[in-house]
Amino acid sequence: MGSIMILNGSPRAPKSNSKRYATIFSEKCKCKTEYFNISKTNHIQLCGKSEEFSDILFVFPLYADGIPVTLLNFLKTLEENPPKNKPVVSVLVNCGFLEYSQNNTAVSMMKLFCHQNGYRFGSVLKIGSGEAILTTPFKILVNRKIKKLASSIACAKYCILQTTMPISSKMFLKASTAYWINYGKKNGITKEQMETMNIEE
Amino acid sequence: MKLILSDRPLNLEIEEDDVEFIDLSSLKINNCVGCFGCWTKTPGKCVIRDDAVKIYPAIAKSNKLLYVSRIKYGGYDAIMKTMLERAIPIQQAFIRLVDGQTHHVQRQVALKNAVIIAYGDIADDEKDVFKKLVARNALNMNFEKYRIIFTAESQLEQTVSDEVEKWEAL
Repeated sequence: MGSIMILNGSPRAPKSNSKRYATIFSEKCKCKTEYFNISKTNHIQLCGKSEEFSDILFVFPLYADGIPVTLLNFLKTLEENPPKNKPVVSVLVNCGFLEYSQNNTAVSMMKLFCHQNGYRFGSVLKIGSGEAILTTPFKILVNRKIKKLASSIACAKYCILQTTMPISSKMFLKASTAYWINYGKKNGITKEQMETMNIEE
Repeated sequence: MKLILSDRPLNLEIEEDDVEFIDLSSLKINNCVGCFGCWTKTPGKCVIRDDAVKIYPAIAKSNKLLYVSRIKYGGYDAIMKTMLERAIPIQQAFIRLVDGQTHHVQRQVALKNAVIIAYGDIADDEKDVFKKLVARNALNMNFEKYRIIFTAESQLEQTVSDEVEKWEAL
């Protein structure tokens, strides 16, 4: 059984949902894991550290339909500073949309990085409704899939997994609207204010 | 309004008054920090007050849009991607259905006829990923129509000039 380096590519890594997913992963995983936030200043350090692991799990949110620029910049540094023994690369990606398939392009980008740079591509977990799902009873679905993801990487039996809230699109619209209204309320902002059509005015 | 957003300087002869050229590489644009402030604290305005706050209103207003970007791992390279991530104030937090799929509600964003000029040494599998990415962008960035042009860096200025001429001929 190998060891897994978990790299959080979220722009708000210390306070991110990705960190929460990574924490669940570490709890469910039977082999050794070590967690790191990707920051602007630690790329080289992380590239060197990656040599110590059999696997890397990148955990990140979908940003503008692709991988976040935080992760993109790290991958560019990794390309320039590859470890001698390249770990297998797995991915846990989440988006705020209901459809986990909206993460597919980001996964393709990670596969392309691996193909171009000689890394074996491992497992994937695509999460839909990822902004809010951990605050709902459907958290159990995420926990189960993360456990499967951890097991697949630990046993080197790589696979593709996905999950989202098992509700209709209409129900999701209602639930997400309520979620965001509540989010604004905490900042003293009303639904009407959040719905402004003005940009920088 | 016609907007050219480029990740590098370009030597272009632009004759029309309503064409704006922006070289992103000459501006100070920080990474989005994912705070959702532009949705839930100061709706429609980013809390980071750098050069990006001048760019995303221009993106929103443009009905003809030309993105010029180097391609990396099948997506926009860092300069363009940083700006696109900072453009989320033009959307609301709230979700709508587009062709049965969930997407964010747009604020006052014009429908766009977009041309994406992707440059660099781009392999076929990378082109395929980029085409999928732009198809997703079209749904989330209000593209009514779009075209993707792949070109070598050495041909870039000529390719952009040809597209601008097409705008001016309309």
